Amino acid sequence: MRCNDFDDLLKMKAESLPDHAALRYGDKSWTYRELYEAVCAKAKDYAASGKTCLGVLADGSADCVISLFGAAKAGLQLVMLDASLPDEAYPMLLAYTDVDILWGDPDLCEELAPYLTKGVENGAGNVLFFTSGTTSRSKAVCLTQYSLCQSAWNGGSLLPLAEEDTLLNLLPLGHVFGFVCGLMWGLFCGACVALGRGPRRYTEDCLFYQPTAVSVVPLLLGFLLKARALNPGLKLILIGAGDCPDPILKAAKMTGARVSFGYGLTETSSGVALSLGDDPYAMTVCPDDTVTLADDGEILIRVPTCVMKGYYKRPDDTAAVLKDGVLSTGDLGRFDENGLLHITGRKKDILVLSDGTKIYLPEYEGQLAAALGNPELAVALKDGRPVLIVHEEASDTDPAERRTALLKQLSPLMKALPRGQQITDVTVTAAALPRTATGKIKRYELSSLL
Amino acid sequence: MERTEIIEKIKTTISDCFPDMEVSSLEEDSVINTETSIDSMGFVLIICKLEALFDIRIPERQWQKLSTLGDVADAIEKRLPKA
Repeated sequence: MRCNDFDDLLKMKAESLPDHAALRYGDKSWTYRELYEAVCAKAKDYAASGKTCLGVLADGSADCVISLFGAAKAGLQLVMLDASLPDEAYPMLLAYTDVDILWGDPDLCEELAPYLTKGVENGAGNVLFFTSGTTSRSKAVCLTQYSLCQSAWNGGSLLPLAEEDTLLNLLPLGHVFGFVCGLMWGLFCGACVALGRGPRRYTEDCLFYQPTAVSVVPLLLGFLLKARALNPGLKLILIGAGDCPDPILKAAKMTGARVSFGYGLTETSSGVALSLGDDPYAMTVCPDDTVTLADDGEILIRVPTCVMKGYYKRPDDTAAVLKDGVLSTGDLGRFDENGLLHITGRKKDILVLSDGTKIYLPEYEGQLAAALGNPELAVALKDGRPVLIVHEEASDTDPAERRTALLKQLSPLMKALPRGQQITDVTVTAAALPRTATGKIKRYELSSLL
Repeated sequence: MERTEIIEKIKTTISDCFPDMEVSSLEEDSVINTETSIDSMGFVLIICKLEALFDIRIPERQWQKLSTLGDVADAIEKRLPKA
């Protein structure tokens, strides 16, 4: 049964499964009734605060979950923030998204207090997630409680969890995949959601909670597999937010768990298609989604229940991708003879990293070019990590010295970026970067320069 | 504890976590991201092991700022009990 908002979902579960385990965090647990009562109590506090827009520096804890649901019930707009950003990124993000109250690490909240705004009007129901781009131009995707609830139904109807299942969430709630496929999916199905206890416990949480299902990004899955940290009782591994290298996929399958791969976007409140069979790359489109392909193979999606309202305060950016209810994804795909969707590439200049984050190349390369005073450069992936290729005229300088000098020049810029997005190596080439007739970099030829 | 001892323990921990990695050439100003093949998950693993080794806790918010071996040593030194 579909739900209209978070309160609708939690109230329904509290009435139908009052004594069933809803949430676990460490040694503490909440039934669905206890969870709803805690959310209602928190909602009273937020309603009394007079605030309008809660910035959630999400740490994935039970208090975080209860607080965000409580604030949503009280009518506050939610802004899901990555708690691991460089400190200097937050003031701009708070101003952009009209945050007037914060939840999170007390020290960080105190530091950011001077940057709180006057708030927002008519923000009730909105839940903002940032697209995983470089932070200086991160766009906030305006989803709603309704779209997120519909998304949980949409994916859950294809890949349901049983009420006896325990879904372990190790993913950040500030990322829509973590929020929907690590939290909402579990609650919607009436399962128990076990919240990971933080990065220090990544290798222990499966053994501690004994989940039957887990949602992961490829980087984390590889880490857990290498550490042999997955519990034998695991029945389902849902991989999303990025391409998964074949060795990791194979190793996951060898655990005996069912492995399902998900394709989705922040702009569609997460899931669009899920693999349900043996081929992880052959995906069934979720029931609410209508997927068509443009002439060049770009995936176009119509999903009125789950699509974003738009990019927050960015009407031009919204209009560029959302026309007459159809979202242009920038991803390329094809349908096979069974009508299953395969992702074949990316049209946009975006690199998707194995931790699920994305690099918007034109913007990132612009920043690198400014830092080096040289526009002749391009970012590529090598072994899943971002590397920089720079064209310079041939010289007598020792290549290793030149590489070191360039990395040093980039150091101030790198310090402002999340670790996974930092340039890990520089290749200097006397060869011109391969370009099309219109001057665009031929990214598929860059690997030959590495 | 002497600084050199801290640096050596960091290098030993890296080597234990990544046996195939050559750590002898790493110095204080070695940038972890660019001079090693340690990705973000590997970094988490190393920090957790160092925390256990030195019996300290480095707040996760600070992990983002740890670029070089020297930065990691600073974070450890700052949290060791004063002699």
